[in-house]
Amino acid sequence: VQPPEKPLQAEEWNKLREDFQLPEVFEEVMLNSMIRCNSPIDVAKSLLTHLARRNGDIAYNVLLKYLTLCVQQAQVSEIRDVYDIMKGRFKILESGAYNLLIKGLSNSDQWRMALTLLEEVKKVMIPSRKCYESCIKAASRHQEMKLAFELYNEMLAKDVVPTLDVLQSFFDFSRGMKDAELQKELFGILLYLRDNQIYPHRTFMRSIKLWFESLPGGNWRGRLTKIKDSGQCPVCNHQLEDSNLTEEEYSKLSERIIRDVIHGTDTYRKTSPKEFEAFQTFVESRPPFDIVIDGLNVSHIKSRKMQCENLFDAVNYLAKENAQLLVLGRKHMLMNSSNWKTEMMKEMQNKADFFFAENISEDDAFLLYATLRSGKHCRFVTRDFLRDHKACLSDSLTRHLFRKWQRGHQIAFSPSAQGRSINFLPAFRYDCVVQTTGDTWHIPYKDVFEEKYSYQVPRKWLCIQQK
Amino acid sequence: MQSANMLLRRIVRSSVLPFAAQHGMKKDSFPLSRALSLSLCLKQDKSCEPSEKLDLDEWKKVMKSGLQEEVSETVSEPKELSSLAAARETLEMWRLAGRAVPENISEEQLKAFMECPSKSAKKKYLKYLHIKELHKKNDRRKMDEKRERRLEAQEQASKTDETKKNSFLCMWSSTMDKAYNWRAAQSMIFGQPLVFDMSYEKEMSVREVTNTVKQIVMSESCNRRSVDPFHIHFCNFKDDSLYHREFVKNYGEAWDKLLITVTDQCYTEIFPKDKLIYLTADSPKVMKTFDHDKIYIVGSMVDKSIKTGVSLARAKRLGLETAALPLEKYLLWSTGAKNLTLDQMMHILLTLKDTADWKKALEFVPKRKYCGFVNKPVKELKKSLDLINTLKLGKGRGEVEKQFARNYPKKYKVK
Repeated sequence: VQPPEKPLQAEEWNKLREDFQLPEVFEEVMLNSMIRCNSPIDVAKSLLTHLARRNGDIAYNVLLKYLTLCVQQAQVSEIRDVYDIMKGRFKILESGAYNLLIKGLSNSDQWRMALTLLEEVKKVMIPSRKCYESCIKAASRHQEMKLAFELYNEMLAKDVVPTLDVLQSFFDFSRGMKDAELQKELFGILLYLRDNQIYPHRTFMRSIKLWFESLPGGNWRGRLTKIKDSGQCPVCNHQLEDSNLTEEEYSKLSERIIRDVIHGTDTYRKTSPKEFEAFQTFVESRPPFDIVIDGLNVSHIKSRKMQCENLFDAVNYLAKENAQLLVLGRKHMLMNSSNWKTEMMKEMQNKADFFFAENISEDDAFLLYATLRSGKHCRFVTRDFLRDHKACLSDSLTRHLFRKWQRGHQIAFSPSAQGRSINFLPAFRYDCVVQTTGDTWHIPYKDVFEEKYSYQVPRKWLCIQQK
Repeated sequence: MQSANMLLRRIVRSSVLPFAAQHGMKKDSFPLSRALSLSLCLKQDKSCEPSEKLDLDEWKKVMKSGLQEEVSETVSEPKELSSLAAARETLEMWRLAGRAVPENISEEQLKAFMECPSKSAKKKYLKYLHIKELHKKNDRRKMDEKRERRLEAQEQASKTDETKKNSFLCMWSSTMDKAYNWRAAQSMIFGQPLVFDMSYEKEMSVREVTNTVKQIVMSESCNRRSVDPFHIHFCNFKDDSLYHREFVKNYGEAWDKLLITVTDQCYTEIFPKDKLIYLTADSPKVMKTFDHDKIYIVGSMVDKSIKTGVSLARAKRLGLETAALPLEKYLLWSTGAKNLTLDQMMHILLTLKDTADWKKALEFVPKRKYCGFVNKPVKELKKSLDLINTLKLGKGRGEVEKQFARNYPKKYKVK
């Protein structure tokens, strides 16, 4: 349906309505198409007049759609009129209307009205993220940084998660301002990124860099770089934080993993108590391992026919440097079949310790247990990101520790182009989060903005130094 | 006059656009198509403009006048609404805004809505209530229409006044019920026991429990109507659990008259352990024949959210034997979960009991899940099919194997 180009009289609207397939929803469809084609506001007004004359009243959803059109075209006086009408007519307005009103008002010079509206919303429900963000951006744009930060802290207190857009806007609008309080708040945002293990994308990172460099008298300088494997920054020669956990964190994590992930609600779902006890005695009776390998995961890296060979290659590669290896397998590997030949199995058992679980057990739990019990130096080999296990952990702090531990201890691998060899990606020795030492800041960043949390750890860093 | 008109027309046509651009669209917009009629209403020029201007903002006046009436009526309202009342108001506004919200919502439903953990859970719950309400309205409308039609038909029939003569005996359904109940009573003394394990309440959501109970009701009824019914036991059934309440809701008064055994003991206490077999899709062992001496256990669980291994865990904990239906063996499986509903299981077990025919029994597996029935195990078939293919197409052996492996089981069709 195409909306008309100019305001129409009542008879013309009536005629259009008759011609339409479903006359009951004519107004809605017409307004939707007006929003889509961005028609002039007078056309919508003439439709509303016709409706008002015909019915004596205008339905709430029609008012909402008109409000959307006004917000789209930034007609502030219209927005205020609609708000007055709605306020008088209905007891409370719902979240959709408030979002539109606040968005429309905050983009104009009557942005303080948006703040009063926000107060009104707070009485009835927790305001949505969009409401807070529009208000924060409006306050920032008008240089009221203190107010913006108050709103931001309120948002965090109510568990409303801010988008990276809003965080970036803080840095954008604070450029060149000299204020110790403001600086502290912005550092607070960087620490928020650190605590939640969020990596900024490129534009955000640039915004941070420009803010640092614009600080008068601060003498900050930022450079893009890549960190060496040893964990040293080539720009400022500073050693990054270690990826190892402290003793206390480590014991807490291992206790939590054993409780939540392995036993969970029912040990029988993943294995059986008898089998797990047998595994525990097995691990205790051996010296601590250096590397624990998920046998089936490694063997599936290439074609099915070469399962045994794949595992053999992996074991051979990892057994260099006399490392103590543990390979977790299944009982069907012992049966002499075309996939698992007994001679190869025997040779492998000379180089590594093997534990064979039941064919129906899930062996991820065993992997985690063996690695944790062997100590902080022990690493594990699997391509599985253990997402389902991380989700079993009950609180967010343990989840952060798990991710940190995973980054530092998981050896992932990928098939390589030539022949049978496998590429092993070694675990990180340094911790990949936003970090600071007071006069340096190191921030890892991603090229592209991704909505969901990605398990790929970024390799590019921004190094900011105070000279 | 004419020349004056012509002049005016020319002036208007040439100067309309800049004129409109000067004053902006809001105030005096002179649509081009009106240029011709302008000459006629030149005298009423002034009256045209204000009437157009009034047009565009008239609706606001209408609305505000409506407001003032309302305001004068309601003197003073308490500003603070309780959270439940506020929620109700919000729901009403959402409904006016066009979202999927029901018109009438009871206190219980409102409380359940408030307890929903997240925004999307709330949305889904409201949508479910809305659709339920719509269905009810439609049903009521259809029933009204049917009633009207019936009344009309009756009127017509009474007009023609025919007496119907029938040589059939009147068979009341209560007679059939009595016959079925006799059979069920007999099965309680002589029949083979079948156990429904009712201990899964904690693992299921409320909706899943309702579905389970409905499935059990269906399976109980089809059991009663069969030739040789099972003696049904509900084990681990706690009084006043969610199961109990749902059963009472479904059966009403008939719940007390059902001829089944309901107990809160575990099946290991009633029957000897070596006779029990737990049927579960996760079991590694495949059932070969139906054993008339053993007692089969079925877990009363609906898994709308995946629950792999839960029933197997129960059986492992108690050290019972387990078995799975030979679905892979006899059916060319297509897509679909291998977990079957409780009434499908009942049909399968009943058919197996009466005729030891897997083909007839596995008819009750939904047809969309598989694409063919084979009597011989598929592995033996594979070799002969390969041979046929090599002879037919003359391709190399390796290629044919690869093709078979790739296409089976989804698209393979026996030619």
